[in-house]
Amino acid sequence: MLAYIGRRAVLAIFTVWAISVLSFAIIQLPPGDYVTSYIAQMASMGSVVSDEEAANLRIQYGLGQPIYVQYLKWMRLVVVGNFGMSMEWRRPVTEVIGERLSLTIVVSVAALLLTWVLALPIGIYSAVRQYSVGDYLATFVGFIGLAVPNFLLALVILYFGFVLFNAHIGGLFSPEWQDAPWSLGRVWDLLKHLPIPALILGLAGTAQQIRIMRANLLDELRKPYVVTARSKGLAEARVIVKYPVRVALNPFASTIGYTLPYIVSGSIIVSLVLGLPTVGPLLLKALIAQDMFLAGTIVLLLGVMTVIGTLISDILLVWIDPRIRLEDT
Amino acid sequence: MLKRMLRSRLALTLAIGALSGAVAAGALAQSGGKTTSYIGKLEGPEVVTDPAKAPKTFKEAPQLAELVKAGKLPPVAERIGQDPLVIKPLKEIGKYGGTWRAGFTGPADFWNGFRCCSGPDHLMFWDYTGDKALPNLARGLEMQDGGRAWLVHLRRGMKWSDGKPFTADDFVFWFEDIYRNKDLVPTPTAAMAINGEQGTIEKVDTYTVRFKFSAPYYMLPDVLAGSTDLAGQWGAYRGMGGFAPAHYLKQFHPKYVSEAELDKKVKGAKYDSWVRMFHARNDWALNPDLPVLSAWKTVTPINTATWTLERNPYSVFVDTAGNQLPYIDRVVLTLAENLEVLNLRAVAGEYDYASRHIDLGKLPVFLENQQKGNYKVYLDPGDYCDLIIKFNLNYDADPEIAKWFNTADFRRALSLGIDRDQINETFWLGTGTPGSVVPTDSNKYNPGPQYRKLWATLDIKKANEMLDKIGLAKKDPEGYRLRSDGKGRLRIEIMTLGGQFVQYTQISEMIRGQWKKIGIDLQVQEVERSLAIKRASANEQQLAAWNNDGSEHLFTFPTHVFPFAIDDVATSGPLYAKWFRSAGAQGKEPEPRMKELMEKWKKAFGVPEKERIQLGKDIWKIAAEEVFIIGVVGQGPAAMGVRVVKNNMGNIPSRMYNSPDGKTPGISRPATFYWKN
Repeated sequence: MLAYIGRRAVLAIFTVWAISVLSFAIIQLPPGDYVTSYIAQMASMGSVVSDEEAANLRIQYGLGQPIYVQYLKWMRLVVVGNFGMSMEWRRPVTEVIGERLSLTIVVSVAALLLTWVLALPIGIYSAVRQYSVGDYLATFVGFIGLAVPNFLLALVILYFGFVLFNAHIGGLFSPEWQDAPWSLGRVWDLLKHLPIPALILGLAGTAQQIRIMRANLLDELRKPYVVTARSKGLAEARVIVKYPVRVALNPFASTIGYTLPYIVSGSIIVSLVLGLPTVGPLLLKALIAQDMFLAGTIVLLLGVMTVIGTLISDILLVWIDPRIRLEDT
Repeated sequence: MLKRMLRSRLALTLAIGALSGAVAAGALAQSGGKTTSYIGKLEGPEVVTDPAKAPKTFKEAPQLAELVKAGKLPPVAERIGQDPLVIKPLKEIGKYGGTWRAGFTGPADFWNGFRCCSGPDHLMFWDYTGDKALPNLARGLEMQDGGRAWLVHLRRGMKWSDGKPFTADDFVFWFEDIYRNKDLVPTPTAAMAINGEQGTIEKVDTYTVRFKFSAPYYMLPDVLAGSTDLAGQWGAYRGMGGFAPAHYLKQFHPKYVSEAELDKKVKGAKYDSWVRMFHARNDWALNPDLPVLSAWKTVTPINTATWTLERNPYSVFVDTAGNQLPYIDRVVLTLAENLEVLNLRAVAGEYDYASRHIDLGKLPVFLENQQKGNYKVYLDPGDYCDLIIKFNLNYDADPEIAKWFNTADFRRALSLGIDRDQINETFWLGTGTPGSVVPTDSNKYNPGPQYRKLWATLDIKKANEMLDKIGLAKKDPEGYRLRSDGKGRLRIEIMTLGGQFVQYTQISEMIRGQWKKIGIDLQVQEVERSLAIKRASANEQQLAAWNNDGSEHLFTFPTHVFPFAIDDVATSGPLYAKWFRSAGAQGKEPEPRMKELMEKWKKAFGVPEKERIQLGKDIWKIAAEEVFIIGVVGQGPAAMGVRVVKNNMGNIPSRMYNSPDGKTPGISRPATFYWKN
């Protein structure tokens, strides 16, 4: 068991290194650099960056250097825990991300909890009562949830929220709480703003999880051990929850691999549409602005999260499912 | 067929566009489409330059009076000094208090705050018509030695926002230790030079500075007033500005602190060099500790979720009754993660005054919600062309196309093939003016009303005749003209950018349809913006759509009049630009008329104003005659010209001069805006 985890951990470190190279390379791929996108941004806002200024900026940011030099420079900073200075925000990258990380985690965890709270019972119900009215209803709603792009849903909700309820547009706080220090009032304000993003973000996931749960449970319910349990007179609820549901939970454990990075970045487009102050829009902006250090750090962070998430789900699976444990030894 | 090069953000933009488009169309039907009635009379506050008319006693905001009483602040008269900068508010003397809410889009949106809240802090600045440069932070400007030297008279007793005096030493520090420091400013600015030779700045006495040049520099007052490198603290983050708070910045400069100490500061603040730390400390929008001269000063920086500005207790601006300006206590700009959210918030009345980022396409929605949001919509048309099409005169990848781009009649014929009225109705909702590239008729450089229409009307018959005559008479079965080298149909490409103030791609698609009638096959290519710059500077662009905002101030903002910038989103000749910038050492010598235009522009800096105005007119004449750039629709409110203001905000002009050089709304002196209740 320990050797298994150890092997995975060593692999993980190599993967993270490869991710750092890749993420840096990907950021360099689009044409131009931070200065060209800065010029373009200024131009679209009705001002002009002179050629002298552009030249000065390139010197200042060291953009004229070869890519591997820039990468090594960045790596030297990364290993000591300094991820460099964001070009656009002109603050240390760690600060820029750190500020948004906690709120991102709040939103994503809320969405995730909502997904599980809705998906598990509905999934179980749909499987047990297959082809009932309730199952059809859940299936119908589920397919709509899967089919509607959630950013579109976000737009529609945003617009109707304004037209019908005069709700504050976007964001996670009302203007009066935006900069207030943390207090009960601010938490309450956050809680008031949380349901809509959580619902929108959670909806597609919910639909998907309902389908997975239903399908897995249906497979299990037809297995002989369930029939045996029933014939021995075990209570129906106990029959279902004790074994088939536990087995059907496997996919939930294995999704943690991609759930962790999701918690960090949130859904980029939905966050952008809803104006959430999370990491998602930050990543998008950093990529558009070609802010290498910021974008690189976020991509690296996402990579690390995926690796850690996968590691956790490997371990979880071993723990939940005795069959995997046996195969491995 | 629309070929899209990169699909970044495409899905999102499309969906949002579709939604808002549908909403807008519905609302427009209700509002009846009469939008020109929202354009009012150009008006604005006036600067009182006569010292005899200046108020002798001063009043201040209640909270500052409290501080004075508590002994934490010197009396108001001491803070303002002997020579206040007096502004006569547009309508009435205002009241103190309140917050002004607006939105911004992130750390790159620093112009937002400069435009609204810096005062403006230029030494000279425009009157409300944008026509004349008047003394601003400087008490006056005095020409010496036939324009080779300029004395800048400062206001006696004027102070930085931390209470330290603003004197000639701040100019000398800027010039010697920032501008001439090769690490801070590797490449000097053209604004400090005449005929390519750099000028100098020297101290005469505490309140007098001399700018010296090797040749007459008559343009200097305009350069100080415009959005140039010598225009106050907005340029400070990159080492420009003309002056800087010496007493504060010395602690970050290697000339004044030991290397070890500076190194410690740099490491402590996590910067990788002292240069970057210095620039960040000298940033008006970023560093709340930086002493400033503006009406408001940053208190929470632009790289946080809320950019807050508060009144500068040492502001030198006063109204005619002696009230220290600004009236409004605080300006709060909240971060909007995207423009749709920003626009919807404005529609919902969550902003008190907004014009930046407000989308003309959503005008009907804004009008519909005026009452609900307790705001009024004003339109501020610019004096420039909102849509221009640049021919890249240096394009050489395809000799056939290069030949036609350099044929004046080809360019003129293409211009005659555009139905500007249709474009104006569809995209400007009828608020624009169809015509050539020349600025509005009231602009002092406008060469005359006849140039508005020159080669800029719809005349398909004439266009076809001209194209036939120059050697493009042969057509393919579909009616498109054939190349003269026998290689099939003549196809030209136009490069556009998405997500801008003007819908370049959609308009270009319309022009593509219109040019079919003159047998020209236009391909529209929407590209990602960095790619646009790369292609333009690598001479790979053919046509490009953009606007020429700023060109109403021809001499301080020439980028969209002739090839001036090398890195540009739309170029009319990168090699010409290189030639011009290197004084002929690199690039390609321009064709005679372009060269004539460039020479006139350069000459204008060293001649008196009357002569310069004539040169300006000549430049626009050449531009309109040669059609190096096609003007399509202009003088519309597309760029920051849709203004949404709360009904109870006072001293709001019904129309203001809309221009980057005028830092609109800065030209209307937002320090005089106030809350009526």
